[in-house]
Amino acid sequence: MEREDTNAVHKPRPGAIGRAAALLVVTLALPLSACAGNLPSQPVTVTMTNQLKFQPAEITVPAGTTITWKNDSVLVHTVTADPGKAARAKDVALPDGAKTFDSGNLDPDATFSHTFTISGDYRYFCQPHEANGMVGVVHVQASH
Amino acid sequence: MSVKTPLIATFSGVSALLALSVSGVAIAGQGTPNDQGKAAMMAKLESLAPYKGYLEAHSSAQPQELLGGPLAVDVSQDSGGVHVALPDNRELDPAVFGTPETPRAFGGAPGVNGVPLPARGVEDGHYTTMKEKTPFGDANVVMGNGKLKLHLVDRTATDAAATEDEAKFDASWQDKDGNTYEVRCCAKMAAHGVDYPTFGGVVTNHILHGSSRIGTALMPTEYTYAAFWGMGEILKNGKVVDKPRLVHGMLTEYVRTTDYKLGFDKDITPSRRHFHLMVPPVMPVMGEGHYEKKPVQTGFKLPNGMELPFWHVMFSNLDIQAGR
Repeated sequence: MEREDTNAVHKPRPGAIGRAAALLVVTLALPLSACAGNLPSQPVTVTMTNQLKFQPAEITVPAGTTITWKNDSVLVHTVTADPGKAARAKDVALPDGAKTFDSGNLDPDATFSHTFTISGDYRYFCQPHEANGMVGVVHVQASH
Repeated sequence: MSVKTPLIATFSGVSALLALSVSGVAIAGQGTPNDQGKAAMMAKLESLAPYKGYLEAHSSAQPQELLGGPLAVDVSQDSGGVHVALPDNRELDPAVFGTPETPRAFGGAPGVNGVPLPARGVEDGHYTTMKEKTPFGDANVVMGNGKLKLHLVDRTATDAAATEDEAKFDASWQDKDGNTYEVRCCAKMAAHGVDYPTFGGVVTNHILHGSSRIGTALMPTEYTYAAFWGMGEILKNGKVVDKPRLVHGMLTEYVRTTDYKLGFDKDITPSRRHFHLMVPPVMPVMGEGHYEKKPVQTGFKLPNGMELPFWHVMFSNLDIQAGR
């Protein structure tokens, strides 16, 4: 039986800049544009930008992977996969059995993590910037 | 408390406010032979302002109260950034401006709520963009530490010599060098307009801009939860650098699209909201019933070294409260 997806939010505190920088270094060392043939086996980070993008906007990971979104912009963003909060139905999708998730507002430098245990295609968006096309996709492949 | 304002004074102020679209640019686009000709044309157009009859009829009238009683609105942003608009050539929405064969939205004072035909680019039988740059377009820069606090009371429904509407506004943001820019308002409300109404300086639950003929047509036709017009001041790093200035703010449905482009009417996202701050590059000539081009002393340098002559700033991380 598959476990439920889980998530966690980290909001930066004073003095957390060093840890954030360390996370960024780790992030940059990871294969952000992973594809099905080269799946990352460790936590993956997606950044959120001033240009109103998730980077990478589309990623493929094996089931069980924890993805961490980091707000690298000066704007407030969210990571939202909840049809009830979408302005457009096409901006959100969840595999059968997967629960909705929503980071809430992420201030600059804040992070949000979500562990994907159910395989399938996830489509999520940033609530303040959904209309600007700030939408991302996670393809979760079943573990072998 | 009623704020008494001579009709002609706010008349000119609001006229200036609504001229923010192109200020002198649109007038120049009409091809008049010289500045004297432009001034004469402007004076003529102002004298024909369609709202003048209404103002004359209400010049000594007490303002009418809002049906149902006063409505208070509070809007705030405590963190996050802002989008600051840069001068750009606004694309012209055919739903608002029609076509060269069947033009629309050209009436009214140039740069106020009308966009003169010569100011419009034409290609293959369609309007393209404004020939000159305006505060309304796609170009923008993101700045951090955006904060906003607004308290409005919409008590007066109509335009008249006096108003009991209130607006208390303070917004600030920072550039990448750490400079803080700030706008405060309103020492005085714009009790009435000239080309269109301001509803006593504060309006709630109305459609503005675009095809509404209320405000510049260069912004999309947009549902506006609350808006205000008044006189305020501009600060940089805590010091007042320009005062008094016309200030307009509005909480609306979301009118920006992919890559933060300013959408057409059909592109609006009704279920999202954002707040717009506008300080136009024109100023009223108090008591004379007209306005003059006067760039805002923003203190923010554009890449070409020129000072940004207006503030058009968008906030989208909002907390909104309203009630009677």
